[in-house]
Amino acid sequence: MMMATTSPARPSRRMRAARVVLVVGGALGLALGVYVLVDTVALRRLPGVALWIGGAIVLHDAVISPMVFGLGVLTRRAGHRLAGGIIVTVQAAIVLGSLMTLLVLPAIAAQTLGSNNPTVLPLDYARNLGLFWLALAVASGLISVWLYLRTKRANQRPSRIQS
Amino acid sequence: MRRLMYEARAQLASPVRNPRTATVIGRLLGLAFLLCFGTGLYSHFLQQPLPWMTFPTRPAGLYQVTQGTHIVAGIACFPLLLAKLYVVFPQLFRYPPVTSFADFLERASIALFVGASLVEITIGLLNTYQWYPFPFPFRQVHFALAFVIIGSLLVHIGVKLPLIAAHWRAAPADGPEERHPVDTNAEDTAAVALAVTKVSTDEGLSRTGGITGRVLSYIDGAPDLPARTSRRGFLTTVALAVTAVVGLTAGQTLAPLDAANVFGPRKKGVGPQGVPVNRTSAQAKVATAALSADWVLTLAVGGTERVFSRAELAALPQTDVDLPIACVEGWSQMAAWRGVRLRDLVDAAGGSPDSDLRLISLEQRGGFKQTEMGSEYVRDPLTLVALELNGETLDLEHGFPARMIAPGRPGVLQTKWLSRIEAIDA
Repeated sequence: MMMATTSPARPSRRMRAARVVLVVGGALGLALGVYVLVDTVALRRLPGVALWIGGAIVLHDAVISPMVFGLGVLTRRAGHRLAGGIIVTVQAAIVLGSLMTLLVLPAIAAQTLGSNNPTVLPLDYARNLGLFWLALAVASGLISVWLYLRTKRANQRPSRIQS
Repeated sequence: MRRLMYEARAQLASPVRNPRTATVIGRLLGLAFLLCFGTGLYSHFLQQPLPWMTFPTRPAGLYQVTQGTHIVAGIACFPLLLAKLYVVFPQLFRYPPVTSFADFLERASIALFVGASLVEITIGLLNTYQWYPFPFPFRQVHFALAFVIIGSLLVHIGVKLPLIAAHWRAAPADGPEERHPVDTNAEDTAAVALAVTKVSTDEGLSRTGGITGRVLSYIDGAPDLPARTSRRGFLTTVALAVTAVVGLTAGQTLAPLDAANVFGPRKKGVGPQGVPVNRTSAQAKVATAALSADWVLTLAVGGTERVFSRAELAALPQTDVDLPIACVEGWSQMAAWRGVRLRDLVDAAGGSPDSDLRLISLEQRGGFKQTEMGSEYVRDPLTLVALELNGETLDLEHGFPARMIAPGRPGVLQTKWLSRIEAIDA
């Protein structure tokens, strides 16, 4: 078992068979999907689908990922005197808030555009999103203070384990 | 270029970017995808059944559960997919970009997989908001991309199977490889990264110059977090994110979470007679016909047609049932319905409860103005032509003068503003 964890196991016959079945089955599924797409969606709509798929990749790889990376660098530099736990807590709060914003912003946009069905999007999403960020700030603040005090106390003991 | 790619991968190396985390997150994401795929297919075939298909009518809340699962798992895919992409991101900067034709095909399928997955969950989310800013039809594209995604998922699992198998269980102890970027099958990236640093510092070779160099040294100045803290922080963040996006929206279908529903597109109890509406009478343009005094429900199920006025329907034996209205958009609402059992009505009109029915609404246009109902629903004693909702005369928005309500069917098939019921094989 130790071998298996340090390097991918040498392909057994069963593994090979499973891989062939998965790749062939997957390729068939993919082909079916493309066929259904071409069969059911008007030809003039297909460039729009391709554009959205390409756009999603670009948006993720060229915008979201660099922002996440930059966030990591900035928080680690800004918090270089603080314990790792505090930095991670702040990072988690920012990630949670950003994710929720990503999901709720379209709801707010759709709400602003208006609908003639008042039972769709009936809540005050902008206010709730603000409260969510506030809750994140309070929670991460409390956790950070607790972690800070705990580290400080540990550092004041004669045998310093933490640095 | 080669060095830039190595630099990028070295900079992006992180304790969480390893095959084990990729396996852990990948398993959860794969599970969420399969849940979405299975429940999505079920919903699709309920709406467009193949000729030989029959469906279970019990439990009565079956569709509420399957479609609720579809939407909950779909929302959970947002944090899981982003986490998975975060873990494998350094792979983007592999060098050389492709090594063979098979490798090219694999990378192309990954790109399609990622792009299609992002589009699939995004348009799914927008559909729950009933907002369509994309230049293609939702239903068809959502359905077709599902096969593209499951297909490329299987290809992906097939390609990575040895790696997945090797990291299915956690390593007994932290191995020395824990800081490697994902997928170490090509070359030992961490060693390469180390070599790059060594070359540039030890042998006095200038690092990448100009702005790039300055950016890199700024990044180098950021202290690394302890690997354990980093890993635990990542997994905790993913767990919290899934909990948050699910917990704060799922109340639109899961009653116990109603109080926490602050971001769901629907709210239980919000709507006429305490029930949300998918399509209003104004959107369907039915108000005049539905409120007309000479409305009748026509049944063409026996040899001859029979018509029932609303008063005649109300004079027939009435049945009370509690059934959820469960929408394809993932919300659901339990409600108390009162009306005529469909099978009794078919019987009164001289028809057989064993024939499939075509239900025709007063709606002038729209995909569901005319739908079909399999005989398993016609026979079921819970299926009603409903006249009352929650103790009041059915609101116009809920299908006045009469609507269908059957167990285990999507809301779009619970035909509102009924006009005509025909036996299909008659």
